[in-house]
Amino acid sequence: MSNQKKRNFQIEAFKHRVVVDPKYADKTWKILEHAIHEIYNHNASGLSFEELYRNAYNMVLHKFGEKLYSGLVMTMTSHLREISKSIESAQGGLFLEELNRKWNDHNKALQMIRDILMYMDRTYIPSTQKTPVHELGLNLWRDNIVHSSKIQTRLLNTLLELILRERTGEVINRGLMRNIIKMLMDLGPSVYQEDFEKPFLEVSAEFYKGESQKFIECCDCGDYLKKAERRLNEELERVTHYLDARSETKITNVVEKEMIANHMLRLVHMENSGLVNMLLDDKYEDLGRMYNLFRRVPDGLPTIREVMTSHIRETGKQLVTDPEKIKDPVEFVQRLLDEKDKYDRIISSSFTNDKTFQNALNSSFEYFINLNPRSPEFISLFVDEKLRKGLKGVSEEDVETILDKVMMLFRYLQEKDVFEKYYKQHLAKRLLSGKTVSDDAERSLIVKLKTECGYQFTSKLEGMFTDMKTSQDTVQGFYASHPELGSGPTLTVQVLTTGSWPTQPSITCNLPSEMSALCEKFRSFYLGTHTGRRLSWQTNMGTADIKATFGKGQKHELNVSTYQMCVLMLFNNADRLNYKEIEQATEIPASDLKRCLQSLACVKGKNVLRKEPMSKDIGEDDAFFVNDKFTSKFYKVKIGTVVAQKESEPEKQETRQRVEEDRKPQIEAAVVRIMKSRKTLDHNNIIAEVTKQLQSRFLANPTEIKKRIESLIERDFLERDMTDRKLYRYLA
Amino acid sequence: MGIQKDRLRFNVGGRVFETTATTLANAGRNSVFGAMFDENWNFQSTNSDEHFVDRNPDCFGVLLDLLRTQELYLPSNIPEKLLYREALYYGLLDHVRAAKWGQFDGNRLRLSQSIAGQAPGDGTAIRAGPDGGCCVAHGSMVHVYDWMLEEHPPINLDYQRVNDVGWIDSESVVVSVCERLGRGEGGMGLFSSSTGELRYKFHVSHENQAKSFTAGALSFSSDYKIFSSCKGRSNEYGVGVWDQVTGKQIDFFYEPLGWSLGDADKLQWLEGTNCLLVATLFPRKDNCYISLLDFRDKNMVWSWSDIGAPITVDEKRVRDAIAMEESNSICVVNEYEDLGFIDLRMNGGSIRWSSRSRLMKGMMPDEPCYPKLALHEGQLFSSMNDSISVFCGPDWVLTSRLRRSYGGSICDFSIGGDRLFALHSEENVFDIWETPSPPII
Repeated sequence: MSNQKKRNFQIEAFKHRVVVDPKYADKTWKILEHAIHEIYNHNASGLSFEELYRNAYNMVLHKFGEKLYSGLVMTMTSHLREISKSIESAQGGLFLEELNRKWNDHNKALQMIRDILMYMDRTYIPSTQKTPVHELGLNLWRDNIVHSSKIQTRLLNTLLELILRERTGEVINRGLMRNIIKMLMDLGPSVYQEDFEKPFLEVSAEFYKGESQKFIECCDCGDYLKKAERRLNEELERVTHYLDARSETKITNVVEKEMIANHMLRLVHMENSGLVNMLLDDKYEDLGRMYNLFRRVPDGLPTIREVMTSHIRETGKQLVTDPEKIKDPVEFVQRLLDEKDKYDRIISSSFTNDKTFQNALNSSFEYFINLNPRSPEFISLFVDEKLRKGLKGVSEEDVETILDKVMMLFRYLQEKDVFEKYYKQHLAKRLLSGKTVSDDAERSLIVKLKTECGYQFTSKLEGMFTDMKTSQDTVQGFYASHPELGSGPTLTVQVLTTGSWPTQPSITCNLPSEMSALCEKFRSFYLGTHTGRRLSWQTNMGTADIKATFGKGQKHELNVSTYQMCVLMLFNNADRLNYKEIEQATEIPASDLKRCLQSLACVKGKNVLRKEPMSKDIGEDDAFFVNDKFTSKFYKVKIGTVVAQKESEPEKQETRQRVEEDRKPQIEAAVVRIMKSRKTLDHNNIIAEVTKQLQSRFLANPTEIKKRIESLIERDFLERDMTDRKLYRYLA
Repeated sequence: MGIQKDRLRFNVGGRVFETTATTLANAGRNSVFGAMFDENWNFQSTNSDEHFVDRNPDCFGVLLDLLRTQELYLPSNIPEKLLYREALYYGLLDHVRAAKWGQFDGNRLRLSQSIAGQAPGDGTAIRAGPDGGCCVAHGSMVHVYDWMLEEHPPINLDYQRVNDVGWIDSESVVVSVCERLGRGEGGMGLFSSSTGELRYKFHVSHENQAKSFTAGALSFSSDYKIFSSCKGRSNEYGVGVWDQVTGKQIDFFYEPLGWSLGDADKLQWLEGTNCLLVATLFPRKDNCYISLLDFRDKNMVWSWSDIGAPITVDEKRVRDAIAMEESNSICVVNEYEDLGFIDLRMNGGSIRWSSRSRLMKGMMPDEPCYPKLALHEGQLFSSMNDSISVFCGPDWVLTSRLRRSYGGSICDFSIGGDRLFALHSEENVFDIWETPSPPII
């Protein structure tokens, strides 16, 4: 401690000797003050940096830092007051230019002053916690210029007015704007925000509120959106040119709110030009614009999505329920496909393939397709039509596209098992009549169904293809083992596995003796190679080619159904037969026989039989003759059967009933599977689980599930809990 | 300025120097040379013109060589302080500091200087500052030295006994001291390292009432928090957390029953795990308590104590602890300088003492100092008596030992600003160890 005291004493003595000139500090400061004046007056070329730096250094060293610092503040402030006056007196448009010029001057001067006072900046200022020179210069500029009463509001108004002029289409000096805004930013974020950004956003909101009101009154939706988009881009451009990048979201939020969010519903529902009209007229560009603009505001996209969804549902509902439009199944499905294509195109080209929109589209289709209970049948008929003839001469890729589209519709179906039923029927007809155009296309569709619904769904369909193949081999084998059958009628048999095919138990009709003999031979051949099987003849499904010679020796080959063949063969031994006789001889069921006779006698150009009396309908007492006058341009004549392509009402009921029957075991199986793994489960959960498990095939009806559960309880698969009646237990 | 004719001629204090603008450009814009050649200033650079500079020519030569080579060679005839003053004039002080000593490596340290202080009594703590300065606490005083080892005005907080000090940045030091009963004095304060002024005094409040307290060990986190163990008179035992920017108390972890936090000898903030290590050690308490606190959910996520451990013959008591995040362990040391390790990944583990040689046993000095640990960039440092051992590698093998015979036992040491400071318990002296700059080739 004593040591320290001694040192203090020494320093004191030293000081007295050194400061000889009491005016030293004043003199040195005068030199520096003069230099600062010269710098502000653009007269610095005569100044020596080294000398000035040394002087400032000496002042700090000799403990005159306070004098130097306060002198700097005073001198700079007085210069800034002068500058402020000259800026204030600048007229009109020159105001900003003058401000900018003086700002540049000040910056340069500030840099030079800082150079001179570098030593003070480094030593005196940190230890006294004063503001460093550069920051001090900015603060003084802020207080004396930007916040001076005569400049502050004028500056703000000038800036806002220039922006307004630019918005109304005038060209302004963007470089100058950028410099002035940059100045506000340099003075600190709070200066930029308080003195410019906040009022700018308020004025902008006001401007866009007015403009959007004007536009919405006089523009249609498309035009309005175009204008809004242009405004948005203009503001973005403005930010990049002369505003702080952080203002970007703030100003775009203003435009979005005023121009879009506030008018969203009005725009979407605008009469004759709103969203629905854009959808109807495929206005991709307008839709894309709407999407991009609405995406920026809260609830924007959901609004579009809801309107689109309800529109699709509405039009879809009309499409599937309009009795006019469901007359032709092929046309019906084609319309669905066209509708889907239309919206796919809109979503991909205007809505950037937005997943939520795709989902909305899918759910809408699912909704309305299932409104019509005949949709599964129609879709199957559409496929039937395509596979029968529609795909002739179409390239393989195109076939795939069509099939893929059908699959997409199939996916929307809730009652996939109904589709399966119809598909099976239609496929059977195609296969048995050899009408299918492309085996590849058939198989490709089966593969698609398999990937969609699993092996179980298609196993029977695949079985049908296998039957066709083995039948071919069997018939070949039959003829190879019976070489004596070379002459005489040829028999082609398709052996169909029961269960795989949609066969109805039907009474076998009486075949002509030649044929029945042949059939007997085949039966013994088949049963000889496959023991333990039963073979029954489905005469209602066969076809025959017969050669006929008419009155004047015209020879024709007739392509007829098996029933028709039986009828025609009767005329080998008789010239005239009445209805009763034919019925007795053939034992064909009455309805089929009537249809069969109708097609033989009543179709113009194909009437190989003549009927008395000549009328459209077949009566019990009608008589039939061979039509000796039959002529045809063709050697081969196909006698069609009058068949209803669409199912008639009773048939439909029947199919429906069969579907319901088939569902029962599936529901039961699902219940047992679930209960086996869960052991106990309450009623609501089991309904939910079963519905979930089966939804890939059909939508299970809860009352039906309940019935099945009750049936399972009766059969001791399940039991009700003794205390909680809503709880089921699995009985192993 | 690079395009103009490159050669320059200076007359410094009567001696002529020739150099190039390129060399002087190494000084940077924030130096006298940077300003001098700025286009704002009308600098005549014709070869015939000399520029007169009224400064010391010897120092100018040294500094010019520093700009040429980025290395510092100080001839013995130039006082160090004079060079620093000249460097400050030219704005080259940072260049001098950067060239003065090399990047820290525990295995290449050389004793650079010893500073004798004038404080009475034993040293309490020494803390290295971020830019090569240090502060030394003795009793109730803290002496602050800058990197040039110039002493600045000393610091005290109500003249209370100092428990710990720490640097927040090169300008600010936090000092924690004992409470002065009945006056509300003591506690914790933030001081300017250059002027010694008290800038801010920290407070503890319990149930919205300000309490006086004794602040113990300190730790700082990179997200501007200050941690300190606190001891009050009622419930304010625990670890307080303050914001470095606002100075406000933002959190308090109350000491759980049967555990010790408020008396902690050591706090260490772990950046990787977002936890605070709190260690209370023998002999401050009869038992050792080491725990990791997670302030986000006020949870003690890991703890270890030697309560109930059998007292062994050689009585290994933990005297210091340090968490090593990279190896998920805590390193501890006992009074024989045996290192031990505790696994941080499981609770309730035991210490695995390393079977290092026990040379120290039986040769204890009269006035022993407890061993201290420090960790710096993968090197572990442990002080014992008058030497500091350096351990490296995954198995922490002994690689170097720093020893200086003068000054007695080392009571504390600290690493920072690429320097190691060691404070001796006798003679009031501390040593500065530096890594020399790398060899020329």
